[in-house]
Amino acid sequence: MNELIKLDNVTAGYDNGIVLRDVSITVSHQDFIGVIGPNGGGKTTLIKLILGLIKPVSGTIQRFDNQEGSFIGYLPQQSQIDRKFPITVRDIVLSGLMSAGKGLSRYSSKDKKQALDLLDQMGIGHLAKRTAGELSGGQLQRVFICRALISSPKLLILDEPNTFVDNRFEHEMYELLQQFNENMAIIIISHDVGTISYFVKTIACVNTYLHYHPSNIITEEQLAGYNCPLQIITHGDVPHTVLQKHDHSHDHDNEHDHTHPDHKHD
Amino acid sequence: MTMNMIILTRTTSTIKMTGILSYAFVLHAVEAAFLASITCGFIGAYIVARRMVFISGGITHASFGGIGLGYFLGINPIFGAAIFSILSAFGIRLVSKQTDIREDSAIGILWSFGMAVGIIFIYLTSGYAPNLMSYLFGSILTVTSTDLALMGILAAVTVAVFLLFYRTILFISFDEEYARSHNAPVETFNYLMLTLVALVIVINIRVAGIILVISYLTIPQSTANLFVNDLKKIIILSMLISFAGSITGLFLSYYWNIPSGATIIFVFVLIFMIARVIVYLRNLKKRNSSVADR
Repeated sequence: MNELIKLDNVTAGYDNGIVLRDVSITVSHQDFIGVIGPNGGGKTTLIKLILGLIKPVSGTIQRFDNQEGSFIGYLPQQSQIDRKFPITVRDIVLSGLMSAGKGLSRYSSKDKKQALDLLDQMGIGHLAKRTAGELSGGQLQRVFICRALISSPKLLILDEPNTFVDNRFEHEMYELLQQFNENMAIIIISHDVGTISYFVKTIACVNTYLHYHPSNIITEEQLAGYNCPLQIITHGDVPHTVLQKHDHSHDHDNEHDHTHPDHKHD
Repeated sequence: MTMNMIILTRTTSTIKMTGILSYAFVLHAVEAAFLASITCGFIGAYIVARRMVFISGGITHASFGGIGLGYFLGINPIFGAAIFSILSAFGIRLVSKQTDIREDSAIGILWSFGMAVGIIFIYLTSGYAPNLMSYLFGSILTVTSTDLALMGILAAVTVAVFLLFYRTILFISFDEEYARSHNAPVETFNYLMLTLVALVIVINIRVAGIILVISYLTIPQSTANLFVNDLKKIIILSMLISFAGSITGLFLSYYWNIPSGATIIFVFVLIFMIARVIVYLRNLKKRNSSVADR
């Protein structure tokens, strides 16, 4: 097993209390983990721990990286971004190459070409000289994916990537992620369990504690036991494939979600 | 009668205008405008991009405490102001990060506290504070060689910092958390830039005054932002606007014998308004032509 990150009995939180308790999870090469859980359950805190943005109160986090800086590619929630900030699309992508040792140096023409190539691959090469504010939510999301990918990371983390994305691109994005998964591990946070369960290999259910399911199928009983996100059970009138109980309607559901990926209840 | 007098003064000042550049103080003023445009071009673009205009206003006013202290101790008020502005800049950041006081409230407190301290010190200083008005409203025509030397050093430092670290500054400003996830020295840069902001504000108080210096940091940058959308271009264009506006304001104030600081800011706003109308008309034309295309 090619392990990338290992969390062992990690407890973490902020000044106003503990958010995560006794979390243990190992992320290995080519993993595709969907992180689900209710709001405030600790999904984003888990990501911050993995990114090294916050330190655990107790427990250990091991990173098995030998590359500086480019180990993890990260796609933050778009709500964090000031969209009126005067920065060009090309520069946003290049910022993915930023690292501790790179304060001084300028970006080589090779770096710049790589940024443009990535944008081309995403079909937005023509927007390279535009600024963030001139782009639609979906276009900006592609830019951020390029930024996460430019350092050829071993682990790609996406925090609620479907929030601001148009439905057409949402589906396209998941297919792209499956391609990327051949070369890297992926962790994706989503409250929309129904959609991501088609694409992920395993599911981590985070609600203060972390429950890891080594498959992309969870039973209703398990969810109830974990006090996990119940919105998937009340996900409209349509029964959901993620629930084994509704396995008989699998094909029907599958088609439903492919043709109407907008069927979300946020 | 009044008309005649205006015409009369105009004729005499036109004659004076030709010789205006031969006065040392006018040359100083032009040099000061040039250096102010450079420092404010960089730092103004930075604070506008990062939405730090209000914190800059707080730093500016808090530095008045240092000016008062300078008078009281009999040292150059600029040095007192520099200490006060850096301390208040760091103070606002630390207080809002480490306590439950919100940032804008912290700014409000330090803003008024600095002004209060300044007023008390000036009151306690025996005798009349002769340059007080020039610190409040600016006096580009009375800048000294010492002021110019300090402005020059700061301009050189600012240019060097931006040339060396432009991308790091840009990336940290755009997405601080992302920079942190890449182990970029986010805090070091935030404090470095905060120090530069504080020093640039203080040094330009001599040019524009406490009450007006924020205009140098925001109006040319906002004007530039109407036409260009990349931080680098905003910096360059705002420098040009800033210098052109300062020189125009300087000559108008000389010509009409009105305060230079206020005239420069008036010109800045005029340029901004004209620019806004141009952009509006351009967009209107674009919209109309795209409708016609259809």
